[in-house]
Amino acid sequence: MKGEHLGELEELVLLTVGSLVNEAYAVVILEEIKKNTNRSMDVTAIHSVLRRLEKKGFVSSKMGGASKERGGRRKRFFTLTKAGRTVLDQSMELRYSLYQKLPKLTFSIAR
Amino acid sequence: MNQPPRLADRLLEWFCDPLLLEDLQGDLYEIFEARREEGKSTKLLYWWLVIRSFRWSALKKSKKLKNSGLMITKNNFKIALRVLWRDKFNSAVNLLGLTIGITCFLLLGFYVKQEMSYDNFHSKKDRIYRSWLKEDYGEGQIFFNSQTPLRFEALFEENFPEVEKAVQYIEQSFLVGKGENRINERVAIISPDFFEVFDFNMIEGNLNDPLPTRNDVIISQGYAKKYFGENDPIGKVLTLQQGEDDREFNVSGIFQDIPNTSSIRFDIAFSTDNNRDLFGERSMNAWFNVVAETYILLRENTSVAAVNEKMQDVVLELMGDVGYGDGPMQRDQYNIGLQSLTDIHLNPDIPLGYAPVANPQYVFILGGIALLVLIIACINYTTLSTGQSLNRSKEVGIRKVLGARKGGLIYQYLSESILLCMLAMLVGATISYLLIPLFNSLTGTEIFLEFEWWHLVIYFLMALIIGTVSGAYPALILSGFKVIRILRGGNQSTGNLTTRKGMVVLQFLITVFLITTTLIMRKQLQYLQDKDLGFNYKAVVSTALSADPSAQRLSQIISSGMENGELLKARLESHPEISNVAMGTHVFGTSGWANLAHTDDNGIFRWFRMLAVDANYIDAFGIKIIEGRSFEEGNGLDQRQSIILNEAAVKHFNLEDPIGKKLPGSEFGDHQIIGVTEDFHYTSLHSEVEPLVIVQNIIPIASGVSDADFVDSITPKLVFTYNGSNLSEATDILKKEWEEVFPNESWNFAFLDEQIKSQYESEIRMNKLIAIATFLSILIAALGLLGLSLLVVNSKIKEIGIRKVMGASPVSIFRLLAKDFSIQILIAIVLSVPITLWMMNNWLENFAYRTNIGIGLFLISGLASIVVAILVISYHTIRAARINPVESLRNE
Repeated sequence: MKGEHLGELEELVLLTVGSLVNEAYAVVILEEIKKNTNRSMDVTAIHSVLRRLEKKGFVSSKMGGASKERGGRRKRFFTLTKAGRTVLDQSMELRYSLYQKLPKLTFSIAR
Repeated sequence: MNQPPRLADRLLEWFCDPLLLEDLQGDLYEIFEARREEGKSTKLLYWWLVIRSFRWSALKKSKKLKNSGLMITKNNFKIALRVLWRDKFNSAVNLLGLTIGITCFLLLGFYVKQEMSYDNFHSKKDRIYRSWLKEDYGEGQIFFNSQTPLRFEALFEENFPEVEKAVQYIEQSFLVGKGENRINERVAIISPDFFEVFDFNMIEGNLNDPLPTRNDVIISQGYAKKYFGENDPIGKVLTLQQGEDDREFNVSGIFQDIPNTSSIRFDIAFSTDNNRDLFGERSMNAWFNVVAETYILLRENTSVAAVNEKMQDVVLELMGDVGYGDGPMQRDQYNIGLQSLTDIHLNPDIPLGYAPVANPQYVFILGGIALLVLIIACINYTTLSTGQSLNRSKEVGIRKVLGARKGGLIYQYLSESILLCMLAMLVGATISYLLIPLFNSLTGTEIFLEFEWWHLVIYFLMALIIGTVSGAYPALILSGFKVIRILRGGNQSTGNLTTRKGMVVLQFLITVFLITTTLIMRKQLQYLQDKDLGFNYKAVVSTALSADPSAQRLSQIISSGMENGELLKARLESHPEISNVAMGTHVFGTSGWANLAHTDDNGIFRWFRMLAVDANYIDAFGIKIIEGRSFEEGNGLDQRQSIILNEAAVKHFNLEDPIGKKLPGSEFGDHQIIGVTEDFHYTSLHSEVEPLVIVQNIIPIASGVSDADFVDSITPKLVFTYNGSNLSEATDILKKEWEEVFPNESWNFAFLDEQIKSQYESEIRMNKLIAIATFLSILIAALGLLGLSLLVVNSKIKEIGIRKVMGASPVSIFRLLAKDFSIQILIAIVLSVPITLWMMNNWLENFAYRTNIGIGLFLISGLASIVVAILVISYHTIRAARINPVESLRNE
């Protein structure tokens, strides 16, 4: 099914949401990704990824409090859902198991 | 200042999904604020953020959007795709027909577009004009040229404030290179500021001053390679020779090869500062010596009319008492006009300059034919889908019951035809691009097309138009179905039957018209090639001799050329395979034999053509003498003053019993008419045979002539007939002997039959183009008929079954099915006759000598189309006629 697949950017955002625990909203996610991966993106791109993830049920959101620098507008905070956690686990597992299959020899040759 | 731009905010609020707006806007504010504190320019940033936020996922999905054309279109195309997929046979026939139609349309369209877009690449093209000169002294004394006197450049620049710049363009033949490797080339002589008017690109050298001195020359990229290989030509020496002069030029620049769609095309050019040396002091200020094409660049916001208005005043003032004949020039005798640069390529009314001109009639005809083929393809789609509409009545009924409006239904069915056209356009355009080289080699055109991305827009729009046109009628029929009748199970009107039949007739009308046209054109071309021209030209080779470089006067050029020719002639005659060696100033298959004019004793002004020959020429070509005798070898009187006329000349000069008489006109030298030849066709059969005077010595005639016009060079040519079996041997012999006699000249040859054939090149090409279009249109029409016959068979399958049960023979069933089509085709054939006759008679008027159209060709094309039609129809009808009635009647 379409819903089960997790794209590269989606995975990155999902991980960031998870790591930010209760503080994840679009601008923070954007900065966090920039800090960690040096990838600069539009905030709207983050928004559309977040909405996609929410539709798939991997994150849930609720509106937070207003703040002054946002012109009195509220933030939407995202949290990782159980399904989100599962899909992240699966993806990590898959990667790790594939990674394990890399022949160890490569290292000795490369050196 | 610390507020984000209000307008950008409003824009965001307008398009953004309200569920998303609050936090998106908040985020944008936050970023905006953060950047502002860093002290960066933020207003633009905010705009940028808003614009980047305009994505599908962030858009307001209101009810309005969901019901909008965008969503419906998506749905429509989805359904259209399914419908097309379901009925594969019909879709394939439709798609194939449309693809062929579009391919043919595009290929012919490329050609037409190229012909129409000559000289369009100059950025100042709207302000560039070429001047022409038309002298009109009454009584047919008209001299009309698009080459003009050398003084025109200054005339325009000094007397007309409207003219920003005037430049000259001259072409001359030079021997380029040194020693034995010299090549005869056309060399351009251009004003130093030429490139300020025209957009030709310099690769090396100075664009603003490409020819700093009169000893500089610029060459094209291609010629840089030709003459200097991989070396850098800048600063190198290039030797140009004309006459005795051998001059070394310094290469000062390289320009990009000039595109095919330019009227002005040259590869080597030097400066007009050399004009005085080349053309003599007198021609610099002459009024009647036409040499250069003069191009002018008008200032912005000025008009040609303003220049034209002042022209006569300026001309009369400048000319003073200079005149033609007696007395000063009168008003409107010496007319200077201007022709727009982009008009040159397709305007045959202004005489030929250095640039070749195409026949606009042929371009329009081809454009018309391209359109006709496309129309056939559209009709194909229309008739087939209309015929098929009955099968979809239930669909329409259900849709209408569920609330579909007529407009919506029309739009939906149009989507189908548009989708199909898009597919056909995609395939057709791709094929066309790939076919261009084949098309060029097949038809001798020189289409040169580079794909650019914006072309896609044009193709898209074309597909949209074709789809709409061909789908309009079926969409109207389908959407017009009455719900109540569908649901009751009654029959639907599938449109006016006459309309559909009419379209089939029209389709065949076009096809038959094209077939007949191709055949008639072919017949005329065959006639032109088979017509007895009045002389022998099979296996005749001609080679251009060269005159003594120091020869100035015409008679010297001719006699010194002939003297050179005698050396070659003597050697050639020693070969047993070669006979009939002769020399003359002109050979056949060219258009511009020397044209002379004089005024006779009665004040009548006459043009006539002149040919100077050796004694052998007339006999060598087997030209028939109908009165008097031909020149005799070694007859001194003949060599001095005998002349021979053709029949047309006898009539032209009003001579009765011409032998022994003279031409009317006291200024001619001593001469005597000794013979009259048949009217042999020395020019192309487009025109009547013109009066011709044949001489051995031109002096007596030339001395009585007041005007002359030489299009072809009058340097003598040598001709010989080759009697062997291997034509390449003829050129080998020529080459060997030539190199012995003239070691310093590059040799050349031409086969006369090829040269004569090349006079009809544009007609031959046109015929090939039309033949291709015809073939494709037959294919499309046959496809359409195939589809239609299947529909008819399917709708009558029960009737056929019952008839068979009642004992009808397969033949009678075939007749039943084929009857309708036969009548339509017959009507088409009959209707096509007058149209074809009218068109073809118009075309044949291009020729002075033409074949009879005759009824035979109509019969052939009619018969051919009937045969094709019956073959196509029989595929389905025979199948239907043979079908076991049990099969068709079993299921109800």
